[in-house]
Amino acid sequence: MSNVEGKATAITVMSPVWPGARYYLSLLFAIARHPLAKKGLGKLETLSFIHYARWTVISKFPDGDRGEKLRCSYLLFESNFNGTWSEYIDAFSEVVPVRMWAIWFTSFGFPGPQPVGPFKQYIRKNEYVANHYWSAYPGASATEVISAGRAATAVAQLRERAEGLDDAAFEEAYREMLTTIQRGL
Amino acid sequence: MGDSNVSGQAYALTVMAPIVSEEVSELVNYLDNLGSGNASPLSKVGGTHFARWVVMDNLVFEGGRQRPDSWSGPRLLFTSNFDGSLDSYLDRLHSGLGECADLVWGHCRDYPQGQGLQAFSDWIKRYQIDTSLFYAAYGKMTVENVLHSLDVRSRLAAFAGRHQGASAAELKAAFLQEFQS
Repeated sequence: MSNVEGKATAITVMSPVWPGARYYLSLLFAIARHPLAKKGLGKLETLSFIHYARWTVISKFPDGDRGEKLRCSYLLFESNFNGTWSEYIDAFSEVVPVRMWAIWFTSFGFPGPQPVGPFKQYIRKNEYVANHYWSAYPGASATEVISAGRAATAVAQLRERAEGLDDAAFEEAYREMLTTIQRGL
Repeated sequence: MGDSNVSGQAYALTVMAPIVSEEVSELVNYLDNLGSGNASPLSKVGGTHFARWVVMDNLVFEGGRQRPDSWSGPRLLFTSNFDGSLDSYLDRLHSGLGECADLVWGHCRDYPQGQGLQAFSDWIKRYQIDTSLFYAAYGKMTVENVLHSLDVRSRLAAFAGRHQGASAAELKAAFLQEFQS
């Protein structure tokens, strides 16, 4: 039983929401998915330690067409991030408190993202620990993956141009490439 | 607006299947003792970035105006962030997990043990829940892209260190050799 695999940490939270809140949440997430509202998700990019995250509104437990009806709906949240659980909750609370509030204020017992102490207690109460957790690249943080992607692209581009450059021009292009991507190395 | 389970080329699969109540402990014991890293059965399922199994054995009751829920039994949550389409992934999941799929989901209701890919895929889809909002920091990168990029990044850092002070001609020749297309 573990929420940790190398640098990656899993969080799984399922919170009960107010009656009717599923309509509000479905609308909120539909708006957030719209291409014109990408800034809403873009703010998550400032939380550079997140690999993948998802929210799922559950109004009945699935079972084909029938499903198992529930008295209240639930909001399932899962995230894959690097760093500790406590740092993660701190960052959410500090960096995106308004978005946190907009998503979770319809959850029973939600104390708000600030102050962070009661918020952490709330998350702990609604959290499930993974019985098995796996990552394809446990040694890499999300930032390292993104910077590696930039480095690989830059190397491939220079490799493509290299044959047509004389030695001096290649050296200049190589230094320029390193300067551009060095923060990620 | 497209499939809410998709971001870039990445897909968010969420499956919540009912566990046979008498078999919860056995399932928990099995999952808790699976190996990590390359020993994990999920390492054999190509294109999986992150995945987890979670036994959900209770529903949270916060009190107040919340009406307590009962359910037919505990649920096994499986989530995966993977490359490509759902159907091709379920094929890889079925073949990659092999008998492990049966040993895990065989503790769930109506699981089609040993009935082949189509029955497996249909059963997984029966218990799938669509994602409402999916965020992927690098949704265009496949697992293969990520691993290749990390390797290039590591080799480039080492290369840069090794070739400080090299002449332009040496640098170019070494670069072309190190990063052959």
